[in-house]
Amino acid sequence: MDGPDREAVEKCDGSESNSVAIAKKLIHGRMLIGIKDGRFFVGAFYCMDKQGNIILQDAVEYRSTRRSSPSPMEHRGVGLILIPSACRTSCHVDCSVQDQLSLLSLDHHD
Amino acid sequence: MAEADGGGDAKAPLSSSIPSGKDTAWFDVSSLLHRACHDLQNDELITGENFNLFAAMSALEIMDPKMDSGIVSTYYSVDEAIENGAAPIPLSFDRTSDIQCVIDIMDHFLACEATWHKGGSLAQTVFSCTYLFRPERTSSHALLHSFCRVIRATCSALVSAVSDARTNEEEDLFTMAYGLPLKANGDEKCLSMIHAVDETLCRQLKACKAPVSKKTVLEDIEPLQTHLDLEEGFCKAVLCRIRFRKHFYHVLTCLRKPQGRGLELAKKHIISCLSELDSMLNTEEFLRHNSACGTVGNEDEKTTASGCQPVGFDSTLNSRSAAPTPPRAIKLLSWKKAVNYFQKLLHDLDVICSYPLDPVFDGAMRFAVDVQKFQPDLVARAHIQLLLVQDGKLYGRESLFAVICKAALLPEGAKNHDIQKTESVQQLGQLLVTLFRVLCANTAWQRRKLGKILQDWRIIYVQLELAFRKEFGEAASTPVEQDLLLTVCKHILIWVEEQTYWIALRFLMLGFELELYSTDEYCMVYWYIYIILIKLAEKTHLKIMLSNDSSRRKSKKKKDFVKDVGKDYQVPPVLQLLQCYTYVAQGLMMLLASLRNENKIFLCQGPFNSEHERFVQHFELLQKACLPDHASFFSFSETVTNIRFATVSMHNCFKDAQKITKDLRGGFANDPDRLAELRQIEQVAEHNHVALNLLCRLGSLEPSLKISFDFIHHPHFVTASVKRS
Repeated sequence: MDGPDREAVEKCDGSESNSVAIAKKLIHGRMLIGIKDGRFFVGAFYCMDKQGNIILQDAVEYRSTRRSSPSPMEHRGVGLILIPSACRTSCHVDCSVQDQLSLLSLDHHD
Repeated sequence: MAEADGGGDAKAPLSSSIPSGKDTAWFDVSSLLHRACHDLQNDELITGENFNLFAAMSALEIMDPKMDSGIVSTYYSVDEAIENGAAPIPLSFDRTSDIQCVIDIMDHFLACEATWHKGGSLAQTVFSCTYLFRPERTSSHALLHSFCRVIRATCSALVSAVSDARTNEEEDLFTMAYGLPLKANGDEKCLSMIHAVDETLCRQLKACKAPVSKKTVLEDIEPLQTHLDLEEGFCKAVLCRIRFRKHFYHVLTCLRKPQGRGLELAKKHIISCLSELDSMLNTEEFLRHNSACGTVGNEDEKTTASGCQPVGFDSTLNSRSAAPTPPRAIKLLSWKKAVNYFQKLLHDLDVICSYPLDPVFDGAMRFAVDVQKFQPDLVARAHIQLLLVQDGKLYGRESLFAVICKAALLPEGAKNHDIQKTESVQQLGQLLVTLFRVLCANTAWQRRKLGKILQDWRIIYVQLELAFRKEFGEAASTPVEQDLLLTVCKHILIWVEEQTYWIALRFLMLGFELELYSTDEYCMVYWYIYIILIKLAEKTHLKIMLSNDSSRRKSKKKKDFVKDVGKDYQVPPVLQLLQCYTYVAQGLMMLLASLRNENKIFLCQGPFNSEHERFVQHFELLQKACLPDHASFFSFSETVTNIRFATVSMHNCFKDAQKITKDLRGGFANDPDRLAELRQIEQVAEHNHVALNLLCRLGSLEPSLKISFDFIHHPHFVTASVKRS
């Protein structure tokens, strides 16, 4: 597979890698992030850095009212938040089946 | 497979509780993002087109305790806490322990409430008690149930009072409930519940104190708890606590009665509250001695009389309800300090209730200013404000226009004049309301606002002048109408000018209380105070003369007019007092100027600002409002440059002030506050006179002399001390 070599070539060119380009397409999309203490945050994907820290815009915090599931969830608005990569346990985006398929196919080119 | 950890856990709630969009689903992108991170350069970010790094910096960091108020600590929710036994009912199956726990809860509530009044959030203080949620839970425990209800009702009444007063200072987080259950159904019946509990306790107390022979009759009364030898102590401890709550709630409801009708009754309840607080303090030894937990921790920090930790309190449970971001960490006041806080609050409320509510402007201003001497806290100040202006009237009784007419020394009939309907006059009324509100604020906020409204008062003067001219041209047709309108306009305008200078004076004086001036700035400050006082006295004098002229023209015939002018006129006490202040300010300015010019001390020099810059910093707002016209750094410099100790007139300033204070004693004979003020000014004048004489004799000949200025006798006028070092 010439993936790593191609990646190297792309970087030398100054253009971004495939993964970065795909990730950029996800910007402003609705993202769901799970946290170590069991909470979830849903918001618009605003920014991510090399360490994997993510900023969500207009985020809503979800958490269950009991430790044991299933239990009803409470939610409240928290605005602009930064989720350090160390606390992140899961990351999903809200997209149509078509988009999912195209994301999967683009991803496999790496 | 590069699934993120906990991906399995994420799936269950995803499908049910956090729905995706229409025709969309949640798609795991963690591995994609992981690869993207790998490919990014070190300083590269994945962002959109409108990305703003500065805005991004304001993001709250999740799992940082200072920024994330939702971090799960003990329990996920109040319900979970209750299910896990954090707030048991009853608190103990042993009735003695149960009562001990309830007393601890009552004490801890007091500490929480005082902390809340002092600026803590409701969620971290009063509503850190799990028993306050789900009120139906406590219904089987009459004592705790009625107590919780009265706590909620009290807090709700206070939030309402402070919100209505709109004391929007830094303490505005005080009223934010953020969805906490401040009101529950049935709370309005709290007093009758407390009363029932009070009656039961009285019977229990009577029963335990009754001699053995009578005990057979009272046997049907179940004692409060199981240790009969401790029954009296516990009954008394509980009784004084619930009675305090009852009387305190009454104080709050009486204070809110319109037009101050409830003040007399409020005073009675205040006395009862203070008595119950004393009783509570007296129960401390008994409770500590018979506590279930033994001696714990720091005596000064304990939040209960017994020293035990109370059951059912967890301030982390409601951190999500505190604010969008976690509030700053607070420390609960100790129980003793909480009692002291309530004692002070009740004292301040008592002072408020003792004021005669005579709807006269000067009286109301003095009320607002004098109460501030006790440095009342937010709750007391909110109540002063609510009392002063109700339904747009002074004390809810007198319309603002009527108040202004009276203050401007207009005849009684003027208050019905149509001029009050003009927009400018109505705006003047609003300015008056704002002024009262500002005077009820804390000192720092008050000074800031006073500085800002100076411009408004200057502008309203101009607007009133224009409006009056228009009315004169349009509405007043007959000579009688014109004459009346002219009188009303002249009086109101001069009164507006007088108040503007009063505000300027208060603005300057509050600078001393807030320690905003350094000693080498006193010279310019006293100079400014001196020129403001001159203008204030001038306007007051004009107002009085105008009023004398108006009344004289009506009552006297022309031939008697000239004869009476000289005979009748005596300087009114209020003017004499202003003259006195003027002399003291002038004297201090000249004393400080001489020291600068001859001894070269208290010179306003520094590496950062020139004296001119400092002058502008302190007096910018006054200068912008042209108060007074032509006052400038140049005129200040011109005045002080040539002042020397040898300047003869200087010797008379403090002496003249002393003379006036002696003359005024008769004028203020029935006013103890004014007499006290006079004594203070007299002391200032006397001591400064002595210091001045000493300095005149020794002058710059003795370099070993140490001269200092302190507020020994008066909060706004310094006294000079001359010592050998």
